[in-house]
Amino acid sequence: MSIASDLIRGHTDAIILAHLISGDSYGYEINKSIRKITGDRFELKEATLYTAFRRLEEAGHISSYWGDEATGARRRYYSITNLGRKVFEQMNSEWQEAKEIIDRLMAAGGSTNGE
Amino acid sequence: MESKIRDHMESLFADAPKSRRTYELMEEMIRNLTDKYNDLVAAGKQPDTAYEMTIASIGDVSELIADLEESFMRDPIEEQNARKRSALATSISIMLYILCPLPLIISAMVRGGNVLVGLILLFVMVAAATGILIYNGMTKPKYVRADDTMVEEFKEWQSARETEKIARRQISGALWSITAVLYFVISFVFSIWHVSWVIFIIAIAAEQIINAYLSIRKNS
Repeated sequence: MSIASDLIRGHTDAIILAHLISGDSYGYEINKSIRKITGDRFELKEATLYTAFRRLEEAGHISSYWGDEATGARRRYYSITNLGRKVFEQMNSEWQEAKEIIDRLMAAGGSTNGE
Repeated sequence: MESKIRDHMESLFADAPKSRRTYELMEEMIRNLTDKYNDLVAAGKQPDTAYEMTIASIGDVSELIADLEESFMRDPIEEQNARKRSALATSISIMLYILCPLPLIISAMVRGGNVLVGLILLFVMVAAATGILIYNGMTKPKYVRADDTMVEEFKEWQSARETEKIARRQISGALWSITAVLYFVISFVFSIWHVSWVIFIIAIAAEQIINAYLSIRKNS
């Protein structure tokens, strides 16, 4: 789990952008949805999440605003920019390519072990 | 429980710069952590366990604090530079005002000098100085709202009114000093004291027109 989560954490930016493509969201909601999609197997640390927000906003991939909350305190929402969408497309295709290459390389080892 | 989470966050960010960014980030995280805690309790966790789990999910904030420090160090430098530029622009325009009668005086004193050229130069200098002053007044950083509350809206409105008042005062000051200079220079050079007082009435009209223009621009 810990090695796998290190691998996944390298893709924090892509994970956040992927979530924001379907609509504006806030920190806790994004993390909740990550847990749900992965079947409780993965969750980002708050510090990792908010560091990524700062970084993505600085780079112009996302923008943020304080939402209007009917009850109680207000929360900060994030939305993806056009640049962010382009960057995500790039990240996604790079990931697909890397995944295929690693799959092939790992498959070589898998078949020798199987014999 | 929110206050307990708040206390914990405040101790985590004790070393972070006391900036608006830090404050906003803490509010954002406290809000989300409180939601998480409430969800855990609603899912049947014991309050103490839920609190421990919430705190454990924060992780290492050192990188966040480093980010905040970096942006805190960057902002004041930009502000300082803006203030320096503004001071320079004001100094240059005041210098132009002081020096503007010079071409006219020289052209009138030097034998064979053309008074008209001197007068044109005077107007060019006054126009340049006024232009610099107005541009400088308009490009001052505006008050940015920290939060969309009534208080912040009032502060923004107040700040807008303040800069507007300052701009009007600057324009008015410039206008009347130019008028006085023009009155004396024109009267001396052309010896037309009997009509040159009209210049003051023209100045009143000009001020009214400028005020009207500013109000229209503000309302549109």
